[in-house]
Amino acid sequence: MSADTAGPETLGSLSDEPQHQDPNSQQAKEIAGKSPLRIALGRLARDKIAVVCAVVVLFFIICAVFAGPISHLFGVSLETPLASERVDGLNNNMPKPEMGPPFGPFTWEHPMGVAPRTGNDNLAYWLYGCRISLLIAASATLVASVTGVVVGLLAGFLGGAVDKILSFFVDTFLTIPFLLAALTLAPILNERFALYDSYATIQKFSLVVVLALFGWMGTARLIRGEVLALREREFVQAARVMGMPTSRILFKELLPNLAAPIIISVSLMLPAFVAAEAGLAYLGIGVTDGVSWGQTILQAATPTYFREYPQYLWQPLLGIVALVLSLNLLGDAIRDALDPKTRR
Amino acid sequence: MFAYVVKRLISGVLVVTLVSMAIFLLFWYGPSSPAQPICDRETSNRCTQTKLAVYEKTLGYDNPVYEEYGKYVKGIFVGRTLTIASNDYECGAPCLGVSYRTKQPVKEELVSRMPATFSVAIGGAFLYLLFGVPIGVAAARRRGTVADKALVSSFLFISSIPYYLFALLTWLYLTITFPIPFFSDTGYFSIAQNGPLKWFGGLFLAWVALGIFGCTQYTRFTRGAMVEALSEDYIRTAKAKGLPTRTIVYKHGLRAALVPVVTIFGIDFGTLLAGTIFTERIFDIQGIGYWSLQAVQGRDLPVVQATALFSAVVLIIANLLVDVVYSVLDPRVRLS
Repeated sequence: MSADTAGPETLGSLSDEPQHQDPNSQQAKEIAGKSPLRIALGRLARDKIAVVCAVVVLFFIICAVFAGPISHLFGVSLETPLASERVDGLNNNMPKPEMGPPFGPFTWEHPMGVAPRTGNDNLAYWLYGCRISLLIAASATLVASVTGVVVGLLAGFLGGAVDKILSFFVDTFLTIPFLLAALTLAPILNERFALYDSYATIQKFSLVVVLALFGWMGTARLIRGEVLALREREFVQAARVMGMPTSRILFKELLPNLAAPIIISVSLMLPAFVAAEAGLAYLGIGVTDGVSWGQTILQAATPTYFREYPQYLWQPLLGIVALVLSLNLLGDAIRDALDPKTRR
Repeated sequence: MFAYVVKRLISGVLVVTLVSMAIFLLFWYGPSSPAQPICDRETSNRCTQTKLAVYEKTLGYDNPVYEEYGKYVKGIFVGRTLTIASNDYECGAPCLGVSYRTKQPVKEELVSRMPATFSVAIGGAFLYLLFGVPIGVAAARRRGTVADKALVSSFLFISSIPYYLFALLTWLYLTITFPIPFFSDTGYFSIAQNGPLKWFGGLFLAWVALGIFGCTQYTRFTRGAMVEALSEDYIRTAKAKGLPTRTIVYKHGLRAALVPVVTIFGIDFGTLLAGTIFTERIFDIQGIGYWSLQAVQGRDLPVVQATALFSAVVLIIANLLVDVVYSVLDPRVRLS
């Protein structure tokens, strides 16, 4: 590695060509003062793929957070219009939309066209679908990470019977295939809450619970392994000798040292949950009120619609693929950046 | 070895019992009333409290839960007669309940749908290995070259796309936009009724989608294991002895590298057998996965319960087999 491309990793290149430096000089201080996370961020910033992916992810986050203002800006909304104004209902097999390509000229009223049959605006549904997708994936990731970290910390630090019991749960949940479990739980949750007024909200809550229920085990395993190594270190023993309560050792001493594995597990979970949310919606057992990329794909994937109007399918599909792909690649880059063994 | 298998079988039976209890309890306490779907269905959505009470009584939901679980287990071994409202339904052993929709014993339909799922699973799993292992070996032999890097990154790209979108696009483009004659009529056609050619043509696209997507994972595993195996000392010894490259790679290298691949394959195959929901839904194959999906949408609780139990049993058996096969393949693993 040549010195001028080394950047923040100069610690490595210094050992290559030992130069005697005054330890108090400006440069040495700068080098010594970098935390592992800062180094990782520096490496990430120089990874071109990571930067592109981060920009794409940021774009989706902006779309999700500002779904309301953006759709207002374009003058579109989720409200179901009078379908006959936008759709040629006489065309029996294919109630084709009359606005937007390929059936009409491009119009700023509906930049992404309207849906066949219902005449709903595609842009509004895309934006709010993006919001649902990220909202559910992020909440599930949060719940699953917190569960996984707590279980991992307890199992790793306390050991003994607690470790055995928690590890048993981890192993049991790991053997349950997610899709089959979701399929079993869906009718039960539907039966229980189908008659409630706020069914749509409850459904999203239960979706987050189901996703998190089958997503926390990886994190728990990773954290447990890390804690097993960390708990033998001097600073933990020192804290014990000083009589710190266990909860304080866990959350003040151990948790800050677990930043890297937590970031790694989050980077693995987010794209998986985005894909799972849309997949369940496609099967009709996730979000069923229509505002989800998976639901749009389900409607658009019928042979008649797809033959005449393929971009109705491609809009949500590209959304999912771009989001999942960039989250995956970004996660890969983050894992590489956090791993001191890889040198790019 | 024998003692180990017996031990594992006993623990497997124990786990199946626990799983069946968990599923039974889930369906007993989960819904606000487990009889609601059948009541809605029979009265065409005009289910009143009195009618619901009749269904709950005849289905046994007013009895203690352990008593009903006992009847359920007994039904699995000797069969039972189920009463729904005023009609009796004979349900022979192994009785998994009576479908709310068709009023037929669940077991019979489960058996009739097994060939479809098994065909998909066996074909797909075969392609996993057929593509995955040789490509992985080739990549490992050319480690560090442009071809290897291109392969690894393009497979990373494919496996980053959610599977169901990959399968959906395969189906849409190869059956609707550019229909391939003979293969584009997807679905399950039994060999006995339609002949092997029709069976093959209907399932071919499903196998390809499943196989191509799944083989990326196997390529990665095989490549990793091969790279490790080829750097072992005994490979150097084999090279020094002057053995032909083919023998070194396949006999000495691949044999050692395949052990972890077989483990993962066993679990994957078990998961496929338990129900390939997306593949069956997209390619319109009337197998167990599609059936359980239809049951969920039709609120057919006995069918959902039965498919859940079936997949649990299949997975437990697959896990047991993998552990036994693992010890046969790798003598270093001691079972105890």
